[in-house]
Amino acid sequence: MSEVTTVVTGWGITFIIVATYSMWVVSRGKIIGQELGIGEMEQADPGKDADATTDL
Amino acid sequence: MTSTTRSNAKMTATPATRVLGVLAIAATALMAVLGLFISPADVIQGEAVRMLYLHVPSIWIAYGAFVLTSVSSILFLRARKRREDQGRHYDRLAGSAAEVGVVFTGITLITGMLWGKVTWGTYWQWDARLTTTILLFVTYLGYLALRRLPADPMVRSQRAAVMALISFINVPIVHYSVDWWRTLHQKASLSVGRRPEITGEMYWTLLYSTLAVTIVATWLMIHRYRVIRLEELRDEEALAALISSRLKNDDGSN
Repeated sequence: MSEVTTVVTGWGITFIIVATYSMWVVSRGKIIGQELGIGEMEQADPGKDADATTDL
Repeated sequence: MTSTTRSNAKMTATPATRVLGVLAIAATALMAVLGLFISPADVIQGEAVRMLYLHVPSIWIAYGAFVLTSVSSILFLRARKRREDQGRHYDRLAGSAAEVGVVFTGITLITGMLWGKVTWGTYWQWDARLTTTILLFVTYLGYLALRRLPADPMVRSQRAAVMALISFINVPIVHYSVDWWRTLHQKASLSVGRRPEITGEMYWTLLYSTLAVTIVATWLMIHRYRVIRLEELRDEEALAALISSRLKNDDGSN
Protein backbone atom coordinates (compact mmCIF):
# COMPACT_ATOMS: atom_id res chain seq x y z
CA MET A 1 0.00 0.00 0.00
CA SER A 2 1.46 3.38 -0.98
CA GLU A 3 1.82 6.27 1.49
CA VAL A 4 -1.00 8.28 -0.13
CA THR A 5 -3.35 5.26 -0.15
CA THR A 6 -2.57 4.65 3.52
CA VAL A 7 -3.30 8.26 4.45
CA VAL A 8 -6.54 8.36 2.47
CA THR A 9 -7.66 5.03 3.98
CA GLY A 10 -6.80 6.11 7.52
CA TRP A 11 -8.54 9.48 7.31
CA GLY A 12 -11.50 7.93 5.48
CA ILE A 13 -12.03 5.18 8.05
CA THR A 14 -11.71 7.70 10.89
CA PHE A 15 -14.34 10.00 9.43
CA ILE A 16 -16.67 7.06 8.77
CA ILE A 17 -16.31 5.82 12.38
CA VAL A 18 -16.91 9.26 13.92
CA ALA A 19 -19.81 10.06 11.57
CA THR A 20 -21.47 6.67 12.11
CA TYR A 21 -21.11 6.89 15.89
CA SER A 22 -22.45 10.48 15.90
CA MET A 23 -25.49 9.47 13.84
CA TRP A 24 -26.11 6.46 16.08
CA VAL A 25 -26.04 8.61 19.22
CA VAL A 26 -28.33 11.26 17.72
CA SER A 27 -30.82 8.75 16.29
CA ARG A 28 -30.91 6.75 19.54
CA GLY A 29 -31.73 9.91 21.45
CA LYS A 30 -34.51 10.74 19.01
CA ILE A 31 -36.00 7.24 19.13
CA ILE A 32 -36.04 7.06 22.94
CA GLY A 33 -37.33 10.64 23.14
CA GLN A 34 -40.23 9.65 20.88
CA GLU A 35 -40.90 6.52 22.97
CA LEU A 36 -41.14 8.75 26.02
CA GLY A 37 -43.39 11.19 24.20
CA ILE A 38 -40.93 14.03 24.66
CA GLY A 39 -40.82 14.77 20.94
CA GLU A 40 -44.64 14.93 20.86
CA MET A 41 -44.61 17.37 23.77
CA GLU A 42 -42.12 19.47 21.85
CA GLN A 43 -44.38 19.64 18.79
CA ALA A 44 -47.32 20.60 20.93
CA ASP A 45 -45.32 23.41 22.50
CA PRO A 46 -43.13 24.88 19.76
CA GLY A 47 -42.58 28.14 21.62
CA LYS A 48 -39.91 26.57 23.81
CA ASP A 49 -36.45 26.05 22.34
CA ALA A 50 -35.26 23.24 24.62
CA ASP A 51 -35.94 19.57 23.99
CA ALA A 52 -34.56 16.21 24.96
CA THR A 53 -33.54 15.08 21.51
CA THR A 54 -29.91 15.04 20.49
CA ASP A 55 -29.96 17.28 17.45
CA LEU A 56 -27.04 19.55 16.81
CA MET B 1 -42.27 9.12 35.11
CA THR B 2 -42.97 12.22 37.15
CA SER B 3 -43.59 15.66 35.70
CA THR B 4 -40.33 16.79 37.33
CA THR B 5 -38.21 14.25 35.43
CA ARG B 6 -39.97 15.09 32.18
CA SER B 7 -39.34 18.73 32.84
CA ASN B 8 -35.65 17.97 33.45
CA ALA B 9 -35.50 15.91 30.28
CA LYS B 10 -36.81 18.83 28.26
CA MET B 11 -33.99 20.99 29.56
CA THR B 12 -31.19 18.81 28.17
CA ALA B 13 -30.72 20.45 24.75
CA THR B 14 -29.52 24.00 24.49
CA PRO B 15 -28.61 26.29 21.60
CA ALA B 16 -25.03 26.08 22.91
CA THR B 17 -24.75 22.40 21.94
CA ARG B 18 -25.97 23.20 18.44
CA VAL B 19 -23.26 25.85 18.16
CA LEU B 20 -20.76 23.29 19.47
CA GLY B 21 -21.89 20.82 16.80
CA VAL B 22 -21.40 23.33 14.00
CA LEU B 23 -18.04 24.30 15.50
CA ALA B 24 -17.02 20.61 15.59
CA ILE B 25 -17.80 20.18 11.88
CA ALA B 26 -15.94 23.39 10.94
CA ALA B 27 -12.95 22.49 13.14
CA THR B 28 -12.76 19.01 11.62
CA ALA B 29 -12.89 20.41 8.08
CA LEU B 30 -10.03 22.82 8.84
CA MET B 31 -8.11 19.98 10.48
CA ALA B 32 -8.41 17.95 7.27
CA VAL B 33 -7.17 20.89 5.16
CA LEU B 34 -4.20 21.51 7.47
CA GLY B 35 -3.35 17.85 7.95
CA LEU B 36 -3.77 16.69 4.37
CA PHE B 37 -2.72 19.72 2.29
CA ILE B 38 -1.00 22.53 4.23
CA SER B 39 1.30 20.57 6.53
CA PRO B 40 4.46 19.37 4.72
CA ALA B 41 5.47 15.77 4.08
CA ASP B 42 8.17 14.38 6.35
CA VAL B 43 11.75 13.95 5.12
CA ILE B 44 11.88 10.32 6.30
CA GLN B 45 8.24 9.16 6.44
CA GLY B 46 6.99 11.13 3.45
CA GLU B 47 3.18 11.49 3.12
CA ALA B 48 2.57 8.82 5.76
CA VAL B 49 3.33 11.37 8.47
CA ARG B 50 -0.19 12.77 7.93
CA MET B 51 -1.49 9.85 10.01
CA LEU B 52 0.11 11.63 12.98
CA TYR B 53 -2.70 14.21 13.06
CA LEU B 54 -5.30 11.49 13.66
CA HIS B 55 -3.34 8.91 15.60
CA VAL B 56 -1.84 11.09 18.35
CA PRO B 57 -4.89 13.30 19.13
CA SER B 58 -7.09 10.19 19.21
CA ILE B 59 -5.09 8.51 21.97
CA TRP B 60 -4.78 11.77 23.92
CA ILE B 61 -8.56 12.16 23.80
CA ALA B 62 -8.94 8.52 24.85
CA TYR B 63 -6.60 9.11 27.82
CA GLY B 64 -8.61 12.22 28.77
CA ALA B 65 -11.91 10.34 28.45
CA PHE B 66 -10.64 7.52 30.67
CA VAL B 67 -9.38 10.02 33.25
CA LEU B 68 -12.87 11.57 33.25
CA THR B 69 -14.40 8.09 33.60
CA SER B 70 -12.22 7.35 36.62
CA VAL B 71 -12.80 10.70 38.34
CA SER B 72 -16.56 10.42 37.73
CA SER B 73 -16.54 6.85 39.07
CA ILE B 74 -14.81 7.98 42.28
CA LEU B 75 -17.31 10.83 42.66
CA PHE B 76 -20.17 8.40 42.03
CA LEU B 77 -18.93 5.99 44.70
CA ARG B 78 -18.60 8.88 47.16
CA ALA B 79 -21.95 10.46 46.31
CA ARG B 80 -24.17 7.42 45.91
CA LYS B 81 -25.44 7.46 49.50
CA ARG B 82 -25.36 11.18 50.14
CA ARG B 83 -26.81 13.00 47.15
CA GLU B 84 -30.47 13.17 46.31
CA ASP B 85 -29.89 11.69 42.84
CA GLN B 86 -27.61 8.96 44.31
CA GLY B 87 -24.74 10.22 42.18
CA ARG B 88 -26.44 9.20 38.93
CA HIS B 89 -25.01 12.27 37.20
CA TYR B 90 -21.45 11.03 37.78
CA ASP B 91 -22.36 7.53 36.62
CA ARG B 92 -23.77 8.90 33.35
CA LEU B 93 -20.68 11.04 32.88
CA ALA B 94 -18.44 8.00 33.44
CA GLY B 95 -20.42 5.91 30.93
CA SER B 96 -20.49 8.55 28.22
CA ALA B 97 -16.78 9.36 28.59
CA ALA B 98 -15.79 5.68 28.51
CA GLU B 99 -17.74 5.03 25.31
CA VAL B 100 -16.15 8.01 23.56
CA GLY B 101 -12.77 6.86 24.88
CA VAL B 102 -13.30 3.41 23.39
CA VAL B 103 -14.23 4.91 20.00
CA PHE B 104 -11.04 6.98 19.95
CA THR B 105 -8.89 4.07 21.18
CA GLY B 106 -10.29 2.08 18.26
CA ILE B 107 -9.36 4.89 15.88
CA THR B 108 -5.87 4.97 17.42
CA LEU B 109 -5.45 1.25 16.80
CA ILE B 110 -6.70 1.38 13.20
CA THR B 111 -4.65 4.43 12.20
CA GLY B 112 -1.63 2.97 14.00
CA MET B 113 -1.91 -0.31 12.13
CA LEU B 114 -2.13 1.45 8.77
CA TRP B 115 0.76 3.72 9.67
CA GLY B 116 2.78 0.74 10.91
CA LYS B 117 2.32 -1.11 7.62
CA VAL B 118 3.99 1.76 5.75
CA THR B 119 6.75 2.56 8.24
CA TRP B 120 7.46 -0.83 9.88
CA GLY B 121 6.30 -3.14 7.09
CA THR B 122 3.70 -4.86 9.28
CA TYR B 123 0.21 -4.06 10.54
CA TRP B 124 0.77 -5.57 13.97
CA GLN B 125 3.60 -6.43 16.30
CA TRP B 126 3.13 -7.74 19.84
CA ASP B 127 5.38 -5.10 21.35
CA ALA B 128 4.69 -3.32 24.65
CA ARG B 129 2.87 -0.24 23.29
CA LEU B 130 0.58 -2.10 20.89
CA THR B 131 -0.18 -4.91 23.33
CA THR B 132 -1.05 -2.58 26.21
CA THR B 133 -3.18 -0.43 23.89
CA ILE B 134 -5.26 -3.38 22.64
CA LEU B 135 -5.61 -4.46 26.29
CA LEU B 136 -6.87 -0.96 27.13
CA PHE B 137 -9.43 -1.20 24.31
CA VAL B 138 -10.66 -4.62 25.42
CA THR B 139 -10.90 -3.77 29.14
CA TYR B 140 -12.98 -0.65 28.47
CA LEU B 141 -15.16 -2.66 26.07
CA GLY B 142 -15.69 -4.98 29.05
CA TYR B 143 -16.59 -1.96 31.18
CA LEU B 144 -19.22 -0.91 28.60
CA ALA B 145 -20.55 -4.48 28.49
CA LEU B 146 -20.82 -4.49 32.29
CA ARG B 147 -22.91 -1.31 32.14
CA ARG B 148 -25.44 -3.15 29.95
CA LEU B 149 -25.86 -6.25 32.11
CA PRO B 150 -29.37 -6.67 33.50
CA ALA B 151 -29.21 -5.83 37.21
CA ASP B 152 -30.38 -3.32 39.76
CA PRO B 153 -29.18 0.05 38.33
CA MET B 154 -27.34 1.11 41.49
CA VAL B 155 -25.60 -2.24 41.92
CA ARG B 156 -24.63 -2.27 38.26
CA SER B 157 -23.29 1.29 38.49
CA GLN B 158 -21.22 0.43 41.57
CA ARG B 159 -19.69 -2.61 39.87
CA ALA B 160 -18.99 -0.53 36.75
CA ALA B 161 -17.34 2.21 38.83
CA VAL B 162 -14.99 -0.31 40.46
CA MET B 163 -14.16 -1.81 37.07
CA ALA B 164 -13.46 1.67 35.67
CA LEU B 165 -10.91 2.27 38.41
CA ILE B 166 -9.24 -1.10 37.81
CA SER B 167 -9.18 -0.51 34.04
CA PHE B 168 -7.53 2.87 34.51
CA ILE B 169 -4.36 1.24 35.90
CA ASN B 170 -3.44 0.41 32.29
CA VAL B 171 -3.57 4.04 31.05
CA PRO B 172 -0.18 5.16 32.47
CA ILE B 173 1.28 1.77 31.47
CA VAL B 174 0.23 2.41 27.85
CA HIS B 175 1.66 5.92 27.91
CA TYR B 176 5.03 5.05 29.47
CA SER B 177 5.43 1.66 27.78
CA VAL B 178 7.72 3.22 25.15
CA ASP B 179 10.01 4.46 27.94
CA TRP B 180 9.86 1.39 30.17
CA TRP B 181 10.43 -1.26 27.48
CA ARG B 182 12.24 -1.50 24.18
CA THR B 183 9.49 -1.21 21.59
CA LEU B 184 9.07 -0.86 17.86
CA HIS B 185 6.85 2.15 18.53
CA GLN B 186 8.57 5.52 18.55
CA LYS B 187 8.78 7.75 21.64
CA ALA B 188 6.04 10.30 22.31
CA SER B 189 5.95 13.12 19.73
CA LEU B 190 5.14 15.66 22.44
CA SER B 191 5.80 15.19 26.11
CA VAL B 192 5.80 17.50 29.11
CA GLY B 193 9.34 18.49 30.10
CA ARG B 194 10.90 17.04 26.94
CA ARG B 195 11.89 18.76 23.70
CA PRO B 196 9.22 18.10 21.01
CA GLU B 197 10.13 15.52 18.37
CA ILE B 198 8.45 17.70 15.72
CA THR B 199 8.53 21.43 15.03
CA GLY B 200 7.10 24.14 12.76
CA GLU B 201 3.95 23.50 10.75
CA MET B 202 3.77 19.87 11.85
CA TYR B 203 3.87 20.90 15.50
CA TRP B 204 1.11 23.49 15.14
CA THR B 205 -1.02 21.21 12.96
CA LEU B 206 -0.77 18.51 15.62
CA LEU B 207 -1.80 20.95 18.37
CA TYR B 208 -4.70 22.25 16.26
CA SER B 209 -5.82 18.68 15.43
CA THR B 210 -5.90 17.93 19.14
CA LEU B 211 -8.13 20.96 19.70
CA ALA B 212 -10.46 19.92 16.85
CA VAL B 213 -10.73 16.33 18.08
CA THR B 214 -11.38 17.63 21.60
CA ILE B 215 -14.35 19.67 20.34
CA VAL B 216 -15.75 16.62 18.50
CA ALA B 217 -15.28 14.39 21.56
CA THR B 218 -16.93 16.95 23.85
CA TRP B 219 -19.96 17.15 21.57
CA LEU B 220 -20.19 13.35 21.47
CA MET B 221 -19.91 13.04 25.27
CA ILE B 222 -22.63 15.63 25.91
CA HIS B 223 -25.04 13.86 23.57
CA ARG B 224 -24.16 10.39 24.84
CA TYR B 225 -24.75 11.64 28.39
CA ARG B 226 -28.23 12.80 27.36
CA VAL B 227 -29.02 9.50 25.69
CA ILE B 228 -28.01 7.59 28.86
CA ARG B 229 -30.35 9.87 30.80
CA LEU B 230 -33.19 9.18 28.37
CA GLU B 231 -32.51 5.43 28.62
CA GLU B 232 -32.80 5.68 32.40
CA LEU B 233 -36.09 7.58 32.11
CA ARG B 234 -37.45 4.97 29.71
CA ASP B 235 -36.43 2.13 32.03
CA GLU B 236 -38.00 3.90 35.04
CA GLU B 237 -41.22 4.45 33.07
CA ALA B 238 -41.33 0.81 31.96
CA LEU B 239 -40.77 -0.36 35.55
CA ALA B 240 -43.48 1.97 36.87
CA ALA B 241 -45.92 0.69 34.23
CA LEU B 242 -45.09 -2.93 35.12
CA ILE B 243 -45.64 -2.33 38.84
CA SER B 244 -48.90 -0.49 38.14
CA SER B 245 -50.10 -3.35 35.94
CA ARG B 246 -49.17 -5.92 38.59
CA LEU B 247 -51.02 -3.95 41.29
CA LYS B 248 -54.14 -3.75 39.10
CA ASN B 249 -54.02 -7.49 38.49
CA ASP B 250 -53.63 -8.15 42.22
CA ASP B 251 -56.60 -5.86 42.99
CA GLY B 252 -58.72 -7.63 40.34
CA SER B 253 -57.95 -11.09 41.71
CA ASN B 254 -58.81 -10.09 45.34
